Amino acid sequence: MQRAIEEAGIPTIIIAALPPVVRQTGTPRAVAPLVPMGANAGAPNNPEQQTQIVKATLEQLVEIQTPGKIVPLPFEYIAKV
Amino acid sequence: MSLTLVKGMQSEIFVPITPPSVWAPVTKELKDMTIALATAAGVHHKDQERFNLAGDFTWRKVTDDMPSDELMVSHGGYDNSDVNKDINCMFPIDRIHELAKEGFIKACAPVHAGFMGGGGNQEKFKGETGPAIAQMFKEEEVDAVILTAG
Repeated sequence: MQRAIEEAGIPTIIIAALPPVVRQTGTPRAVAPLVPMGANAGAPNNPEQQTQIVKATLEQLVEIQTPGKIVPLPFEYIAKV
Repeated sequence: MSLTLVKGMQSEIFVPITPPSVWAPVTKELKDMTIALATAAGVHHKDQERFNLAGDFTWRKVTDDMPSDELMVSHGGYDNSDVNKDINCMFPIDRIHELAKEGFIKACAPVHAGFMGGGGNQEKFKGETGPAIAQMFKEEEVDAVILTAG
């Protein structure tokens, strides 16, 4: 999906819970907060953390200059299962 | 000394090949960008058709004016409990609205995309679904897309 959108000339960035998976698919730009699958953009009902993740993601969209780069983000959410 | 003992020998173990990245350059500042969301988390409006949990290459157009509490998830491939409590976990639609309001980005795109990743017909995804979503973003003059998946 990310590839198709980039092919149309639109830059993208993916928020990944599983960075090795997106590396495998050849992602152009990715960020990886410390989150479980299913809460990639942050903990439920925690708008503050979600905003931090989305803002940092947008900043990396501009920042990343090397295709394939995955930037870890210093935000953590551990789901209580 | 050559280290190749048998010419043309191939491993019988399947090794996935990572394709080179496709790269569209960023040409604007964030404050001048219209941002869209695309998620593989199976997000759609409550009135839209649910995804087939066994594998589904179709996608749903999520318009920017759909209230976030009317969005839902149908996806058989991950624990939906967090996203059922708060759609913004995977589809931070309220967050990008706030960022547009405060001027961090210029605007939210009028359309976003939800599909169900983690399976389904990969050829269809690659050849049909991906290009269709990309085309929609192109027509709506989207400057950049945030994806959530993986």
